[in-house]
Amino acid sequence: MKLHFPTHALQGSLIPACLLAAVLSLALASRAQEPGSGNTASPNYLTPIAAEISPDSTKLYVVCEDADAVLAVDLRTQRVVKKLAVGHKPKGLAVSPDGKTLYVSNEWSDTVSVIDTAAFQVQKTLPTGWGPRGLTTDRAGKTLYVANSIGNDVSVLDLTTGTEMKRLTALRSPHYMQLSRDGRYVYVSNILAHLESADESPVSELMAIDTRTQTVAQRVLLPEVLELRHVAEAPGPQGGYLLVPFMRPKNLNPLIQVDNGWILTHGLAVIRPAKANPDGPSAHAQVTEVLLDDVDRYYAGADGVAFTKDGRYALITHAEAATLSVIDTKSLAQRLHSVSAADLPNRLDTARQIVVRRLPTQSNPTDVVVAPDGRTAYVVNRLDDSLTVVDIPQFQIRGRLDLGGPKEITALRQGEQLFHNAKFCFQGQFACATCHPDNHIDGVAWNLETPQLGRDRVANRTLRGIAETAPFKWNGHNPDLQTQCGPRIAKFLFHSEGFNHEQLENLVAFIKSIPLPPNRHVATNGELSAAQERGRNIFFQKACDNCHPPETHYTAKKSFDVGTAAKYDTSGLFDIPQLDRIYEKPPYLHNGEARTLEEIWTIYNPSDRHGFTSDMSKEQLNDLVEFLKTL
Amino acid sequence: MRSTTEIRWLLAIAALLYFVPVVAAQTPMLYTKWENFTPANGMPDAKVFSVAVDSDRVWAGTENGLVLIEKSKVSKVYTTADGLPNRVVTGIAIDKKTGDLWLATFGGLSQFTGGEFHNYSSMSSGLANDIVYAVAIQDEILWVATTAGINRFNLRTGEWSIFSERTAPMHEPWSYGIAVGDGKVYVAVWGGGVLEYDIAGGYWKPYNDPDGEMEIVLFKNQGLIHDIVSGISYNHDTKMFWASTYFGMSGYDGHNWYNYLSTDSGLASDFVNATQTRGDDVWACTDKGLSYLNFKTNTWVTYRPNKETGKGEIVITTPDKKINKIESPTSLAHNYILNLAFQGNDIWVATAAGLSHGISQSHKEGTSNEQARTSR
Repeated sequence: MKLHFPTHALQGSLIPACLLAAVLSLALASRAQEPGSGNTASPNYLTPIAAEISPDSTKLYVVCEDADAVLAVDLRTQRVVKKLAVGHKPKGLAVSPDGKTLYVSNEWSDTVSVIDTAAFQVQKTLPTGWGPRGLTTDRAGKTLYVANSIGNDVSVLDLTTGTEMKRLTALRSPHYMQLSRDGRYVYVSNILAHLESADESPVSELMAIDTRTQTVAQRVLLPEVLELRHVAEAPGPQGGYLLVPFMRPKNLNPLIQVDNGWILTHGLAVIRPAKANPDGPSAHAQVTEVLLDDVDRYYAGADGVAFTKDGRYALITHAEAATLSVIDTKSLAQRLHSVSAADLPNRLDTARQIVVRRLPTQSNPTDVVVAPDGRTAYVVNRLDDSLTVVDIPQFQIRGRLDLGGPKEITALRQGEQLFHNAKFCFQGQFACATCHPDNHIDGVAWNLETPQLGRDRVANRTLRGIAETAPFKWNGHNPDLQTQCGPRIAKFLFHSEGFNHEQLENLVAFIKSIPLPPNRHVATNGELSAAQERGRNIFFQKACDNCHPPETHYTAKKSFDVGTAAKYDTSGLFDIPQLDRIYEKPPYLHNGEARTLEEIWTIYNPSDRHGFTSDMSKEQLNDLVEFLKTL
Repeated sequence: MRSTTEIRWLLAIAALLYFVPVVAAQTPMLYTKWENFTPANGMPDAKVFSVAVDSDRVWAGTENGLVLIEKSKVSKVYTTADGLPNRVVTGIAIDKKTGDLWLATFGGLSQFTGGEFHNYSSMSSGLANDIVYAVAIQDEILWVATTAGINRFNLRTGEWSIFSERTAPMHEPWSYGIAVGDGKVYVAVWGGGVLEYDIAGGYWKPYNDPDGEMEIVLFKNQGLIHDIVSGISYNHDTKMFWASTYFGMSGYDGHNWYNYLSTDSGLASDFVNATQTRGDDVWACTDKGLSYLNFKTNTWVTYRPNKETGKGEIVITTPDKKINKIESPTSLAHNYILNLAFQGNDIWVATAAGLSHGISQSHKEGTSNEQARTSR
């Protein structure tokens, strides 16, 4: 692993070199374990994922998902001064306007930890919806908004009483929240797009919540993009527009054409929200999509975004390219005026006009924050347990701030880093993580191969909990993950160098280690509800367990023809999918035609080949669906 | 020392002060000013099935789309081209908490949120049937009346439940209306009477016509007036539910039934499409006009247009069956009334030939209608 501490890091720094030397850890040589050693035991990595700076600029809070902890970094000394345990898989954080309280979302605990920043202790824990991630308070600090990534909604919490007042419907996998600078709106990004027909390009959504009424004011649609991540609003006189990173897939084109370029591009949505209309619904927002890739080099995983204090520059992290891009917003504005909004999403010559600097970061930079003094930016390197400190006036890397994670890089950790590294793909178009955000799905169907070569479009499949579910791929031709992720990926998807043997083993080890999240549809005592119990009886009466046996993750681990072959499929045989956490995986069937579990049987089982279900009443189907959600 | 004449005057004034409020209370506020919304001024269709009020905004479900009316103008029409699942919008429920609209349509259920329609059909969800007549919100539970039974949709967990002739005490699954009461949910079942669901207990209780006769009413005030129930509403002030049937109106306070026929009351017609109620007010949407009952004074008022003059006809029936007729310069758009909603002291009426706005005399321009709302 390459660790970075450039010699120019100290140039122009206000911090004495001796202090820096003391507080910024130098690169430590690290060595991955021997390939295939089988020693995948993981030390306690921090895995920082998001950060916020206190209003008084003295502290940087960093939430660490693998450590179940939040760190406090003293920005004067650049040291981690405190570490506090929170809930399981913390993912997001928000600081109250007065700086006295820190809120941390715990994705797997379905809670928010309320932390007294002075004592740095958890005061209380508030229940939320399923899978809380992004969160923010309103301007008064009286209301907390929490994006529930599994529940696909937003919890609105009264911070005075600690109670949840309401939930607002989000789209799919709501991710990040940003309070507008005037405090009027809370913007919510969604990782996954609308469930459209498998023949259509995805349409994503940015939701705007009116903080006065705490209702959904607007849903801004973003055509042909996926994976909306962070949201930043331009400050001051340049205000009035938002930047939202995205991934733009050409999933309807054959993926075999990756070496022609343009299959996966990465960029920013420039959004001018509709002005609030006090007398009625708002007008439409203006959305323009620009790409940040170069013609011959892509920057996958656009994720964190922040403006400099004066709004002149915007900083964007590329989580799968280990890069921080610096955008000149003045040039961006000129670009928006000189090229039509219809053309911009396909123009790969935009970056050379608006990107003024590409700075290397450490592995998997997922967030970036700018200090209130406007002189320093901090990039959160998720798989390096570090921050990259960036000098803003010069846009130079000042150094690496070690957050105190383990020094050794295990095989498992290296596998995870590979998973998030797009350099193995032709011109860096994508990494494994690009299409498997959060080790899961991107929710669209991909044209993996041309009709002449085999299957047409196939839905993305989750990587969560798949260690014991071989074979792989929808046609079931890959007996193990080494086959799935090895030369086949290199030849047909990456069109570039594949992983070497050691890398492949480590990558596979990581994929096998990806756990299943907790099931939210099962009662805490494990008992099934009446509807779930009825559904369970139907499941076994209908012999669903013949192909979906419980003892092997509800897959018989072979292919079967259930009559779902579509126009271009050369065979009706498809791998029987495992059913664990099936409710988190729409769309369904091999080509993603079924948008809901119900549609598997109401629309796509006309000949009763996917179980004899035509004799079922609607009540029975509802019960069966309720049972499936418990798996 | 006051004179005898002076004392007599004081007594007279005192008597007047004592009796006038009583007289006034027996004379309900009359709607003499109407403004109508029809295709001539922006409505996509004349037939209006449903209407709902969200503060100063009025939503109307028509045979050809959803309509938003603001500041006495049709400000927006939503059609299937905008994502509405079907052109026929039969019911509207406003979630006051979230600001979302839930729409009953002839093509399924739809959530209108942030300017977008999220649709649910019997194919894509647990919805019992795509012919949906009514929706009602009970906290984070959505109740849906369909031709194939009643749906309970848990908005938090996504769980759909169906109550039909197989799982609830109903002869027919064809459900027309839903009202959420205090701890109860009431369903109007066409041919099946009224069903009451106990939220805490999770069980159903049916109310049916005790005589079982389809054409005649044998037992007055001994039960639901008829099993063909077209609509239901719950009065949170009086804790009563009111059921509209095609053979009269019924109210029930938990102990006593109050049934009304056109032959023995001021009800305009026994064919009642829907009912709405609050305070002492009970409204009946009939095929022969809009009838109002002040339940406390037993005074009836019926509004209908006069086809010959084009003016409004107001018929007041006092408790002693005396009838007074008044003419108003403007009138309802049509005598065939399908539903009604309150906006402060104003009313909005869905008719077969347009949406009518009954403007109360207390209504003042610029005054918040919600503030003006008082229990009369």
